[in-house]
Order: sequence, then structure tokens, then C-alpha cells
Amino acid sequence: MIKMQQLSKVYRTHLIETHALRGFDITVKEGEFVAVTGPSGSGKTTFLNIAGLLEEFTGGDFWLDGVSVKGLDDNARSKLRNEKLGFIFQGFNLIPDLNLFDNVDVPLRYRGFNAAERKRRIEEALGRVGLSSRMKHYPAELSGGQQQRVAIARALAGSPKVLLADEPTGNLDSQMARGVMELLEEINSQGTTILMVTHDPELAARAQRNVHIMDGTVTDLTQETRLALQHAVEVA
Amino acid sequence: MEIRPIFSAMMRSKTGVILIALQIALTLAILANALYVVRDRTNEANRVSGVDDANVFMIATLDRDVDGVMARQKRDEELLRAIPGVASASWTSQMPLSQSGSNTGVQTNPKQTDSVASPSVYSGTEMLIKTLKLKLLEGRDFNASEVLETDNRLPDQAKPKVAIVTKALAKKLFPNDASVLGKLFYQGRGDPPIEIIGVVDELVTPWGRASWNTDQTGDESFILPARFTQRYNIYAVRTEPGQRDNIMKEAEKVLLAAVPGRLISENNSMDQLRENRYRGEHTMANGLLIVIGLLLLMTASGIVGLASLWVNQRRKQIGIRRALGARRVDIVRYFVTENVMICVFGIVMGSGLAIALNRAMMSELELQRLPLAYLLMGAVSLLFLGVMAVLGPAWRAAQIAPAIATRSA
Amino acid sequence: MWNYYFLLGWRSLRRNPILTTLMILILAVGIGTSMTSLTMLLVLSGDPIPQKSERLFVPKFHIADMRGYKAGDKPDFQFTYIDTKNLLRDKRAKRQTALFGLSLTVDSGRKDLPAFSERGMATTSDIFPMFDMPFRFGSSWSADADDKASNVVVIGPELSEKLFKNENPVGKTIKIIDRDYTISGVLDVWQPTPKFYRLYGSDATSRPEQIWLPFTNAVSREFSNSGWNNCSGEGAGSGYEGWLKSECTWIQYWAELDKASDAAAYRDYLSAYVAEQKKLGRMPRPEPFQLLSLREWLEDAGVVGRDTKLSTWMAFGFLMVCLVNLVALMLAKFTARAGDIGVRRALGASRKEIFRQYLIEAGVVGLVGAILGLGLSWYGVHIISSRLAEADDFYRMDFRMLLITLLMSISAALLAGLLPTWRACQVRPAIQLKSQ
Repeated sequence: MIKMQQLSKVYRTHLIETHALRGFDITVKEGEFVAVTGPSGSGKTTFLNIAGLLEEFTGGDFWLDGVSVKGLDDNARSKLRNEKLGFIFQGFNLIPDLNLFDNVDVPLRYRGFNAAERKRRIEEALGRVGLSSRMKHYPAELSGGQQQRVAIARALAGSPKVLLADEPTGNLDSQMARGVMELLEEINSQGTTILMVTHDPELAARAQRNVHIMDGTVTDLTQETRLALQHAVEVA
Repeated sequence: MEIRPIFSAMMRSKTGVILIALQIALTLAILANALYVVRDRTNEANRVSGVDDANVFMIATLDRDVDGVMARQKRDEELLRAIPGVASASWTSQMPLSQSGSNTGVQTNPKQTDSVASPSVYSGTEMLIKTLKLKLLEGRDFNASEVLETDNRLPDQAKPKVAIVTKALAKKLFPNDASVLGKLFYQGRGDPPIEIIGVVDELVTPWGRASWNTDQTGDESFILPARFTQRYNIYAVRTEPGQRDNIMKEAEKVLLAAVPGRLISENNSMDQLRENRYRGEHTMANGLLIVIGLLLLMTASGIVGLASLWVNQRRKQIGIRRALGARRVDIVRYFVTENVMICVFGIVMGSGLAIALNRAMMSELELQRLPLAYLLMGAVSLLFLGVMAVLGPAWRAAQIAPAIATRSA
Repeated sequence: MWNYYFLLGWRSLRRNPILTTLMILILAVGIGTSMTSLTMLLVLSGDPIPQKSERLFVPKFHIADMRGYKAGDKPDFQFTYIDTKNLLRDKRAKRQTALFGLSLTVDSGRKDLPAFSERGMATTSDIFPMFDMPFRFGSSWSADADDKASNVVVIGPELSEKLFKNENPVGKTIKIIDRDYTISGVLDVWQPTPKFYRLYGSDATSRPEQIWLPFTNAVSREFSNSGWNNCSGEGAGSGYEGWLKSECTWIQYWAELDKASDAAAYRDYLSAYVAEQKKLGRMPRPEPFQLLSLREWLEDAGVVGRDTKLSTWMAFGFLMVCLVNLVALMLAKFTARAGDIGVRRALGASRKEIFRQYLIEAGVVGLVGAILGLGLSWYGVHIISSRLAEADDFYRMDFRMLLITLLMSISAALLAGLLPTWRACQVRPAIQLKSQ
């Protein structure tokens, strides 16, 4: 599904050159649930942004669902993003002036579905996250956990191939966080590839595969290393 | 087009929307009416005089007495015609657009008590029409023998029997007749009837459209063949193209030299007369144009300001939309759609206001009814202005990177 | 506290110069245009002679015959010679006068100054005290001179300076249309605003005439009226004699009464006069005559033209748009200061205090806008005066208008500031502090 080869991202200001990602190689197969961990400043967010076609990369190659992303213009990338990807953010990022229905509607409008199709998908998506009864409510009226569910519904409504999640439970208490994680696991079991950035090792443990980003390079973590890390956290 | 969601989101910050819509509404109300007034005044100021404006001037003498004034007039005319570059010259009782002259009530039936019209009366020689270069549509010019020499100090002066009228006056007097040649009208003082022997296309009255009576459109005049005995004598002179200014100076010298103790009371070109008459109209039109310009500027800057504010407030939202698949053009389209909605709302309100304002001005200020074309023109220009104004902020919005969605907490 | 807020307001305006300049400019331009047209309106509709305007009157008779008569037609605004002579002879008002315009040639006799044309008025000696016309030298001619149609003249200050520089010319003679006239007095500078005594025949914004000579003298010399002549009916017979006998109206008549309340008695006299004239077969129309006070006369003659009123309407409409724009700008500005407000509220400021602070900030805009707006209106009035008025500086901003400008600007700014200020007060400290 996602294949990056020797990817690099360099930020240049007047005097400083920052290498956010270096010689990054990663392949994510369809249906995988990958947790991406790493200390802050390691390049996690950069990786996610690039994977999500939100940012351009400086060198290397990137294929998304078999299509080479390198050299695509903004319009093409937007289209790809709209059709193949779904996003879930730490801060939910719902549009406060729109009700839940309209919030989930936003990506579908850019897709070009007709009104009936959109309605169907929105109702289905909100149903899947258990919030159909509150379709006309506004985000400000919901708890954090509910808002994140709406964000997930929004991400799913377009039937994406890959779901990208950036610290999806970061702003939630443990109970809500558990609920969200269960939802994600369910979605993954139905065939959607999930790429989740987190720094909670407990959450990372629930994913099939962990990759660790440090100083711009990525390493797959084996089972032992994962357990060791987890143990280290518990002790500390 | 996501009209409903855009509308519902817009309505969450009602204040800004109402302010801009109100501004557009008030601007349209003033714009439509002001445009109409500007057009009206400009049209009046540019109206056709019927006279060869570029080459005609008037020069008036004030003499000490009236002894032998008829001979003096004829001699003055000869002296003027003798100046090289002068095409024609004639004594006249008044000049178009000079704001000095006389009107008289006329009837088509001697028993009528009401006047059918109140045209302006020009008296002049058989050379007057040629001098002013009026366009004779039908009939003929006066001949020399028809020109009366009238001394109003004496009784039983001969009354004029023939006249040449303007097309507008002919239509007013005899609306149903194709040709008015040979028809008679009366000056209503028990005087004998006057026969129309010619019709000229246009000859504006000395006042143009009268400010004291807007029914007086200023195009109804007639010419009588006559000279008067008076100390103050006006001569109309037409020169060859390009020579008027020099000849005006020469004419003054020539006429002064002809009679000792005489004064030149006025020496003005038709262009000068026109400028004097219409100074008020021009000032009004220019003033209104400045106001219109400022209004459009303020409205545009208001829209730019509000749109920029909203772009700033919605940075995150724009990033999210981009992350969710919106292309740059989708973001521009969002802002333009929102703007068009506000503008249309303002324009609808403004149309009502414009008509209400016009009604109020019709009753208080004797204005005319506003033709719908001006309202439409105003509405279209404001819509265009609005869209142009919002393009800048909308383009800036479209440049917001999708990464903002993830990078800003 | 007020000083503190004034200072805060001033500082805040300086911090964002572009926005502040825009606000002040918009307010100033709106005030400038409104005050320019308002000044024109006020000057034209002002009382030219407030100390006695309620005692000066113009009678208006229906001279015209029945031709073209429609019910509700207005009476003639000028007099015939017949009625002028009759009313002057009857002397029923405290003072009365008659005027008509003259177009004259003046010869000073100086070799270096050739003869020139000059506008003048034929009138009676009563006019000078009636209109409180000030004299620089000498005085008007006597009533006796009126009776004898003497060759005397009162000249205006510009003419006097032109012919005699700063000398006192009383007693000297000048030739008016080839006859010597003795100067009995020189008027001082006098600009009635508007020029009420000659609304027909000259512009309300023009300078007074420079030559004033006895009515009887002008008639005896058969001077024609340089002004409006309105002849109905059979028109004039031949010659000047026919002119005087005719029903043509060409003379302006004015009466001064002792007290405004004497108008009733004067009206009775006019009533009786009209009845008498009707018996002689004159004044055939059935409508009653009118006796207009000076203010009514100005209104009747439409001295404030349609265009002046139109400009004022448009200018105030423009001001409203400026104010809406100002509200929007202030709103944007105050909204951006939500953090500042939150902190102040948390530190103990009540809603009223916040209201006061921000309203004063709006007031500061109004004050600065007033000064700029004043400058703009001054300039505007000057431009309009030079283009549209015949006398220089006819349109001027006096102290009253200065005050109006100041008040209007500050109240406009305060009004515009109400909504944004109220919004500022609604800011909840908690929310603002959390999002810091």
C-alpha cells in the first residue's frame, strides 16, 4: 500500500539545514496496522505528513497504492488524498461552525458524489461510530471522545484505503481512549490499513507492527525490543 | 457547490455578515441614485444647442444713446463681417445659453386663454440663422425685406407676420400635423397671427432646462425677423474654424473704434456661455462622482478587510479542508461563494433602499423616478467589485499549507 | 480614570497605525463631505438680517389677467409701477421702499480710467435704514431728493476705492450715463447672506450693487429694468409712458413694520387697497393677495435650490456608509484585543469600566477625525464657494459650523463605537485566559 524508498526531507532556512528524514525506507502492506513511535522532534509528524500527502519530500521515492507520488502537482495530490486517505488528528480538527452531518460531508463534497450518495455515506459512517442520533448537533456540544469519533466517521465516509492517525487518543481520558482504540481495531479488521503515530507504548502494543523513528531514520521494532521498551516504561 | 453548509457556517458570525451587507445595501442605494443624477446633469450640460458652438461668439455693446441705432447696428454688422476669418454676423435680441432673454406665451387659437407653450423668442436679422448655423429642416429662411425695424418708444409699430420655430415647438403647437409650414400661432396680446415659414432642428433657449420649472425643457423657441431700438445691442458672430479667439479680440477693437463713448459690455464665446450656464451641473456631477468613487473604494476595502479577517480566523479550518482533499481552487471557490451570498443579500436589501430613497427624493426634491437600468448597473458593478475584492484574500487562503492541520495544535 | 482611558485609547491607536489611519480617514472624509454640503445649506437658508427679519415684509398681488389662470396659481412676486406709486404714496408701513435693477455706464472723469459699465439699483432713501446698510462716508440722500428726483447717488465701497482710493468722495460728482450725479454717501462692506433683496434679477450669492440712485430719478431718465419683467394681458403700450401704465411687473417692493404684530393691520390696509383696485377693473384673479415675511419670502423664492438639498442628502447618506465601515473596523480592532480585555476583567475591571475605556477610545478617533474632517470641510467649502458663488467667500464656515463639525464627528464615532464596545464587554475572562 505504502512504499517509501530512500525518502528524505530537508528543511532549509537562511542559515540552517534541518534533515527531518534521512534515507527513510518503509513498506506498509494493505491491511496492516502500524504504530509509529519515537521521541518528539524525531520526524514522526513529518513522516505522517508526507505519507498523508500533506507535505512534499526532498528526495527518494514514494508509492501510494501502486501510484508514484513523486512529481505530482498539488491538484493531483489533493485528489489522491481525498480518495485514498482518511485523517484523524490529535485535536479532532472538526469545523466548529458546521454540525456533525456537515462536518462528515466536507471530504465527500470534494469527491463529487451526488446528494443521495453523500447522505448515505454520512449516515452509515456516523452509524458506525454510534453517533447517528446527534447528526444535527455542533462539535462544541460533544465530549472529546465523541468529537474524535465524529472525526473518525469523517475519515471513513469516503471509504479510504489508508487511515492516518496522529496521536488519536492524546486529548482523551483513558476510558474514551480505549473506546477509540477498539473502534480503530474494528476498522482495521474490516480491511483498512492504519498508520498511527503515538507515544503511548500501551497503544502501540495493540498494533500488529511497530516502527520507531529516531533522528529521521526508521527502524522496525521486533517483539523483544517492544517488550523491553514497555518494561522500561513501566519501571520508570 | 456547497451552498447550504457555507451559508450555515457564515451565519455563525452574523455581525460581520450584517455589517458588510448593510454597507453594500447603503452603497447601492446611494450609487444607483447618484449615477442617475450624474447622467441627468451631464446630459443636460452636454445638450445640443443647435448652434455651431465651436465657432460662434457673442459681443454686446452698450451705447450712450439710441439715436440712429438701426443704422449703427447695420454698420456694426458690416464691420464685423469685414474682419478676415468671420463667416457671418447678425444682430440678435438674445443668445442661447446666455441666461438672459425673454419668453412668451403662445396659442394656436386666438380665443384660447391658456398658453399652449411658453417658448423663448429670438429676434434677429435675415442673417441670424446662417450666423448661428442652425439646421433648417423645412421651409425657408427670412429674407431682408421681412425684417422689421421696431422702436418700442413709438406707438403703432408693425407686428411680425412670420416666424421660424424649432422642431420641439412645432410638435408642441401642432402635435398631430406632419408639417407645420403655413400654420398660424398667436402671441396672445391681441396681436395678428404669425405664420410659420420654417422649422429648425434645434435652438436651445437662453436658459436650457429651467431650474425654476422643470417642465421647461429648453428646446422650444421661435425666431422673429426684427431689430430693436435699444442702447444694449448683441451681435452673434461665426468665425472660420480655429480663429475664434483672435477674432474676438479684433471684434472688440473694431466695434469700440466705430462709436466713441461706447462700451463693450460682454464678449463671450458659446463655449464660455455654456460653461457659465452649466457650472452648477458640472460641480454637482463631479462632486457625486467623487462620492461614488469613495463609496466603491470603501466597500471594496471593507470586503477585503472582513475576508482577510475570516481567512486568518479560519486558518486551521482551511488546512483541514485541504487535508481532506480540497484543492486550492476549492478554497478560493468557498470564499467567493460566501462573498457572493453576502453581496446578493446586500444588493437585495440595497435595491429596496434605493427605491425608497428615490421615492423620498421624488417627493422632497422633485427628482425623477429612478430608471431600473441604473439600479441594475449599480447592482452588477457592486457584485463585480465584491468578487474582485475577495479574490486577494481568497487566493492567500488557498496558499495555506495542508500541513497546518497536523502541525498546529 | 478618564485621563487613563484617554491615554490608553491614544496608545492603542498608535500601536496599529494602518488601521487607525484608515478609521480616521474614513470618518474625516464622511464628516468633510457632510459638513461641506451642510454649510452650503445653512448659509443659503440663514437669516440675512436677524435683527429685524420678522419685521420686513413683501406684499404679493395677483396682477395677471384671467388668461391661463388655474386655481392655486401663485401671485406675482414683483409690483407694477401703478401699485408701487400708490403704496409709496400711502406710506402705511413704518418704512417702505421699491427697487429695480439698472445697467449703467460710469465715467469718473479721470483721464486714466475710461468709462465702464456697472450694475446699480434704483430705490428710495428708506432702503438704507430699512436694511441697516452701513455707511463708510456720508449718508443716504434725503426724502426731499426722492421727491425732486435729484441727481444724487450712494456708491459702494469697491467703486469708491476704484475711483477715489481711500479719500472721502462725498460731495464729488461722477457721470452716470452722461449726467453728473453728486455722491451723498459711500456704503461700507455689506454682504447680506443670502442677497434677499434681489433674488430675482441677480444671484443670491452675488455682491451687492455698487450704485444706488433715487427711484424717481431713474424713472425720469427712462431707465429700463435690468432684471425680470413679467407682462401679462395687453402688454405695454408704446414708449416708456406705456411701460409705466402697463400691468407689467418689474419692481421689488419691501415694507418695514414697527412690530411683527402690526402685520395684521397692514394686511387689512392691503385688503382694502386690492378691493379698491378691483373696482377699477384691475387684479381680476379671485385668489387672495399674500404678505410674506422675509423668511417666508426666501422660502417662496426657493433660495435653497434643489441641488443644494440633493447634495446634502447624498452627503449624509455617504456619512452613514462611512459609519458602517467605521463600526466594522472598530469591531475588528476590538475583537483582536479580546486577550487584553480578558486580563483586565480578571484583574477586577467591571463591564462598565471596559465599556468606558473602549468608548473613550472611539471618542479619541472621533476627536482626531473631527480635526481632519474640519480641515477637509474648510477646503471643500472654499472650493465650492469659488466655483459656485459669485461673491468670494460667500460660503464660509463660521463658529457655529465649526462647533457642529466637532460635535458631529465625536458623536458619530461614539455611535459607531457602541456595538463594538458592547461586544468588548461581553468577553468572558475565563475563556480568554485559557487560550493564552
